[in-house]
Amino acid sequence: MITGKLYDGHSAYPHEVTAVFADSRLTLTQDGEWSEEVDVSTLKRIDSGPNGIRLGRMDVPGWRLVLSEDAARDIDHWLGRTERYGRWIDRIGLVPAAIVGGVITILVLGAGYVAPHWIAPHVPMSWERNVGSAIVGDFGDLKCRNAEGQRALETLVERIAPGATKGPDGIKVAALDVPVFNAAALPGGYIVVFKPAITESDTDALAGILAHEVAHVRRRHVTEALIRELGIGALIRLFAGDIGANAEQVVALSYTRGNESEADSDAIAMLRSAHISPKPTAELFAHLSKEQKEGKGFGAEFLQSHPLSMNRAEKFAAAFDPNSHYSPALTRDQSDALFNICWKRPGQR
Amino acid sequence: MHASSEAAAGDGRGVEFNGNWREYLPIAATNALLIICTLGIYRFWAAARQRRYLWSRTHVIDDCLEWTGTGKEMFFGFLIVIAVLAPFFLFFQFLFPALVARGMGVAAGGILLLFYLALIYLGGFARFRALRYRLSRSWWHGIRGGSDDPGWSYGGKYLGRYFLSFMTWFIVFPWAVTQLWNDRWDRMSFGQVEFRSDLDAEGLKWRWALVYLVPIGALFVAGIIGVGLLGLGGDQIAAGPAAGLGATLLLLLVVFYLAIPLMTLHWFAGFYRKAAEATKLGDLEFRFDATTLQWLGLFLGNVALAVVTLGFGLTYWGYRNWAFMVRHLHIYGTVDVGDLAQSRTRAPVEAEGWADAFDVGAI
Repeated sequence: MITGKLYDGHSAYPHEVTAVFADSRLTLTQDGEWSEEVDVSTLKRIDSGPNGIRLGRMDVPGWRLVLSEDAARDIDHWLGRTERYGRWIDRIGLVPAAIVGGVITILVLGAGYVAPHWIAPHVPMSWERNVGSAIVGDFGDLKCRNAEGQRALETLVERIAPGATKGPDGIKVAALDVPVFNAAALPGGYIVVFKPAITESDTDALAGILAHEVAHVRRRHVTEALIRELGIGALIRLFAGDIGANAEQVVALSYTRGNESEADSDAIAMLRSAHISPKPTAELFAHLSKEQKEGKGFGAEFLQSHPLSMNRAEKFAAAFDPNSHYSPALTRDQSDALFNICWKRPGQR
Repeated sequence: MHASSEAAAGDGRGVEFNGNWREYLPIAATNALLIICTLGIYRFWAAARQRRYLWSRTHVIDDCLEWTGTGKEMFFGFLIVIAVLAPFFLFFQFLFPALVARGMGVAAGGILLLFYLALIYLGGFARFRALRYRLSRSWWHGIRGGSDDPGWSYGGKYLGRYFLSFMTWFIVFPWAVTQLWNDRWDRMSFGQVEFRSDLDAEGLKWRWALVYLVPIGALFVAGIIGVGLLGLGGDQIAAGPAAGLGATLLLLLVVFYLAIPLMTLHWFAGFYRKAAEATKLGDLEFRFDATTLQWLGLFLGNVALAVVTLGFGLTYWGYRNWAFMVRHLHIYGTVDVGDLAQSRTRAPVEAEGWADAFDVGAI
């Protein structure tokens, strides 16, 4: 016979009861006045600790029987085990659960990192183009619309990657009147160059930058980054919580280090077959890298999206062959037209 | 069957926390391990285990509290909310850059403004739902709390009052926050007894004024000292500009990272003390006695603990915060336990999904 306190789940009144466990039934009696029988299989252990052992009933919310701690020994075998870590983990044990969970976590993270690289080449270009044009549109007023300049820009791309701007899946290159030194490849085969990257760098260096972006498009790095961002990035942010705080982030794509170095190698190869010297690109990168160390503002955005090191500058510099015959990427007139791509005639919108 | 439980028994506070950190250590350690091993998914179950422990070690009048929320329901609640929100966020995530790329800056700005308004509305809604959920899973004497209000209108009030605060340089903030406290608690109940709150901003306005006055005063005093020094050190004027610039920067840092947060903390310490006294549950009254310095001690202690233990101390923040709240809370009055009948409110199914999604769960 054990004494305890019963809450019936209807009122907060504590009934003093005596409890008897026998034949899979629990009989509760109050001062010989009233008694109640409960099937032991409906009981669940809520808590056991310094405040005693606390039982609940699966069929009556709020029904609680509180027994003293020393009653625990007598009634333990009538009750199931207390839930500890959660049902699944309790079933297989903490250590096996941690090992299984750890292995799955590593696999998921690994797949999330590697899978985009495998999937990207198989995504139809037309799908990506749809996503790209939905995001990008025609750039509205931002786009520099000087016709001669645009022709020169396209000629420059054709010069480093013949045929690249042709056909339905051709690269569409645009100059944007944004006061930031940067260039980027966007989903759907778009390449954008911002005005300072045109006006403040040598045409041959611009050829190097464009070749790098063309390589990102051709190697489907953009698609890869898009999948990575939407896939594993979203998953991690989901379970790391805090969706609201991240929600305003627009799709900012970032490439892996491997992607960047691959795009550099391709760019060097493109420059070589176009007989354009890689030296101006190397000088630009070295210049930017030096500024990065000095923490100057110029080109900060470019550096953020294209992590730069002296290594990259050296790679371009090493590709310079003193015996090779290099020719300028564009003629003088074309370079001038490109320089003025964002120039508007007075009154022109 | 009429009996009453008198609060202010024991040490005279009506509520006490009798957990200890050694007893909690196995829970903290296994929670941390399982969260890491499950890409964070276990955090819902971890939260449930933590609360089960904290509630069970919190003694109110004559019996301990009980937490019945489960990790599974919190996990599903979160999934439900994400399923609702994901399309909404994706839409904005693509619409905004699309408008910018088309040079439609004004439309993009408008969309962004709408987006933030929606975020604030949902943030308020989430806060309400989280309180309602927590009460519905908190039991005492076999009785639970809850609310029948879904919280939609609270979200509107929250948005309106924060908007008004924003438009007035936050001068009406004390009024907004106290009204929102009332709006929230007046909709909550425990058993069939309703919470009543008549909090007003009286006495809190001066504290709020200090948030503005102390930084301004600091700048003013520093200005006078600066001018004085310039006057004295006229012959050393060569060192002047650089040193002056450095001092100004340092002063601005002190003002923004020290004076404003400290004064805001000072205000919130006063706010919680007043709010507790203005809130009643039937014949029960509350008091909360944490001072600004004690709050500061809690926060600095949390940070120090996390640093000293190389991050493991993070698992004790929930424990420390709860213990702090309970140890500074007093409950007075009597409850007629025979009259305190079971709640008839519906328990929400989405658990804390909204609060989780908006990261407002901590308050």
